[in-house]
Amino acid sequence: MTRVTQHAVALTSLQGLNGNLAALQRLQQQMTSGKTISQPSDDPTGTNTSMIVRQGMAGATQQARNITDGQTFLDSTDSALQNMLDQVRKVRDLTVQALNNGALDGPSQQAIATQVQGIRESLLGQANLVVQGRPLFGGATTGSFAYQDDGTGNYVYGGVGDGTDSRTWMTRQVSDVEQIRVDITGPEAFGVPGSGKDLFGVVKNVAADVADPTKLTTDLSDLDNVIDGLTTALADIGTRSARMQTAATNNSNQQLTLTTKLSQTEDIDLPKTIMNLQMQQVGYQAALAATAQALQPTLVDFLK
Amino acid sequence: MSLFSTLNTANTALSAQQRAIEVTGQNIANVNTDGYSRQRVDMQSVGGTAVPAIWSVSNQVGSGVDADTITRIRDAFLEARAQTEHAGASNLTVQDTTYTQVQQAFREPGTTGIQSMLSDFWPGFGDIANNSTDTGAREQLLERSQTLAAGLHSTMGSLDGQWAESKDSLQTLVTDVNATASSIAELNQSIKSATMSKLQSNDLQDKRDSLVLKLAEQIGATATPMDDGTLTVTVGGVSLVSGNNAIQLAVSGGNSAAEVNQNPAANSIAIVTNPGGAVVRAGGTAAGQMTTMNSIIPGYEKQLNGVAQQLADQVNSVHQTGYDLYGTQGGAFFDDGSGGTTAVTAANISVAVTDPKKIAAAALSPVAANGQISADHAVADQLYQLRLGIPSGGTYTDGADATYRKMIVALGVQAATTSNSLTTQSAVSTHVDAARESVSGVNIDEEMTNMLQYQHAYSAAGQLVSTVQSMMDTLINMVGR
Repeated sequence: MTRVTQHAVALTSLQGLNGNLAALQRLQQQMTSGKTISQPSDDPTGTNTSMIVRQGMAGATQQARNITDGQTFLDSTDSALQNMLDQVRKVRDLTVQALNNGALDGPSQQAIATQVQGIRESLLGQANLVVQGRPLFGGATTGSFAYQDDGTGNYVYGGVGDGTDSRTWMTRQVSDVEQIRVDITGPEAFGVPGSGKDLFGVVKNVAADVADPTKLTTDLSDLDNVIDGLTTALADIGTRSARMQTAATNNSNQQLTLTTKLSQTEDIDLPKTIMNLQMQQVGYQAALAATAQALQPTLVDFLK
Repeated sequence: MSLFSTLNTANTALSAQQRAIEVTGQNIANVNTDGYSRQRVDMQSVGGTAVPAIWSVSNQVGSGVDADTITRIRDAFLEARAQTEHAGASNLTVQDTTYTQVQQAFREPGTTGIQSMLSDFWPGFGDIANNSTDTGAREQLLERSQTLAAGLHSTMGSLDGQWAESKDSLQTLVTDVNATASSIAELNQSIKSATMSKLQSNDLQDKRDSLVLKLAEQIGATATPMDDGTLTVTVGGVSLVSGNNAIQLAVSGGNSAAEVNQNPAANSIAIVTNPGGAVVRAGGTAAGQMTTMNSIIPGYEKQLNGVAQQLADQVNSVHQTGYDLYGTQGGAFFDDGSGGTTAVTAANISVAVTDPKKIAAAALSPVAANGQISADHAVADQLYQLRLGIPSGGTYTDGADATYRKMIVALGVQAATTSNSLTTQSAVSTHVDAARESVSGVNIDEEMTNMLQYQHAYSAAGQLVSTVQSMMDTLINMVGR
């Protein structure tokens, strides 16, 4: 038979009590921090998930910022193009007016020319619209103009890139795998610069040719080409804007999924933890009571 | 045989029972003394003359009881087991503490660890991509890079601090071991003298046993009893105490985890004899501390340095392909603090770019951008995507983030394993302690029962004296009348 001594009983009781208390402390820590993982060794697999999810969340937050920012750009581009299209249509109306009334007198022709010239300057202003320090239609330029008067009345393109080199695109990373282009360069929207057939060249020709119906007819068809270009550009921006909106929805879904996942990985199951804590407390108190009972009496208590 | 000899028998009985009660008292007094082994009086009946001679005959009745020997009740095998198991538990306790501290140094998972700093760092490039000419976004990236570098430095610093602390406590431990070894040598001498002069030395032996157990925990010592009553204490095959001689130990090796990593053969921490310099294969707490200093901390420092170097290489290789806002090609983004990029460690990683405009975010050179400085952000995009890893054929291979994460997960697994081993080892050593206690420990009930027995025996012997006295009285009064 094993000899049992008071010291041994005390030792084992103490070990049991310590074990109980450690379990109680762990639960209490989980309750107060609200997290099941306070250090990697608590759950190495969970730690891995948690770190991946946190990284994903940081990515998604930044992408949400990119999307908002990109949307601003697309909206500004859209309204600029819309305005310009309206004005170019005005120019077309004036051109048609000049054509139809071939017999217009000099002052009337002059008035149309002046009006077209004025619209041209306003178009230049629109084409040089600056958002967040960058000219909307200037590609990758660090300058503050997309188009500039070269001194002879010709508006020349001063931006960098004509949309053929993807490195000059202004893009926004909207998800880990998708980038959406948010700009459109002058040459893409307004036609090849310097050819005389781009927006500013054609409008300039219209102003100059008010009195010449033959030339004006050519200018009119050129103007229709320019309008086509602008409409295409608008459609392009519209499509990208729609893509951007889809991306925004995806992004908020993703953020929600990630938050849920992180919470599932790291956060405590409150009712379960409270139950466990209660059970552990009851266990600890029972252990304390039992130890107090077991340690007290010896034969001494019963000898007279 | 005479009445007087019966009186003598009663006398030996009285003193024997008295001695037994004294020993019981000693046991009760030491019921809570650590390392005390209970003692027992070995009573032996004193027989008559075994070999009869002319003047020496015996009437076959013995002449009382002899209570000279007091035995210490202990099991030498259990003592040896206890030494081994305690050494194992101490070793694991130190390793477990180390892992806990290393985990605290990394502060993962959470919002203050390096992972979170990396997660702040990469979006900085994203913000530059959103607005490549804005110096505000660029300034912010530089700040975040500084924070990341500082985070790596401070983690490294706390690992270094732990290493230094471990070395200090190993030095203290060895000093303590030397003192304990000398005490054991002195006790050996006293016990040897007592044994030679047939004196009891039970309490000295208890004291020596508890010192040996302490050495077992500290340095993994084991003890072998010798015929002359001395104990020979050995550590990993080298005898630390032999008879009344004790040799001294010392700590050798490098002064930092970096030194250990540089040259593990020459700079690993070891316990050596002093003088002599022979390496002692220690166990117990010392072994745990040596594992901490030779493999755990240097291992994690090495991995963290790897993360820092990988981060620098990853960012630099892309950054150098870009052009900054001055139109010049980008240089190194991270360096080792003095311009070098091949020996970047977590302790020296620095942000090489100080002028926000010098962050090379653009892919087009001024030549390719018609003489202008390009405001494109293709390189910033590439840098931002590095958070996913290093692009290779449509997918990504592990970048600094993934390397770091793998390290943390491996740390978690190691720490959990060590903690489990420690739980098991503690249970084993508590069981051995309980087994040892069940042999050598004092049971108060038992002592009280013994005390009653001895008390009754004492009263009976007293009764014997009074009976003999009354017999003598009867005889003398009859004769004298």
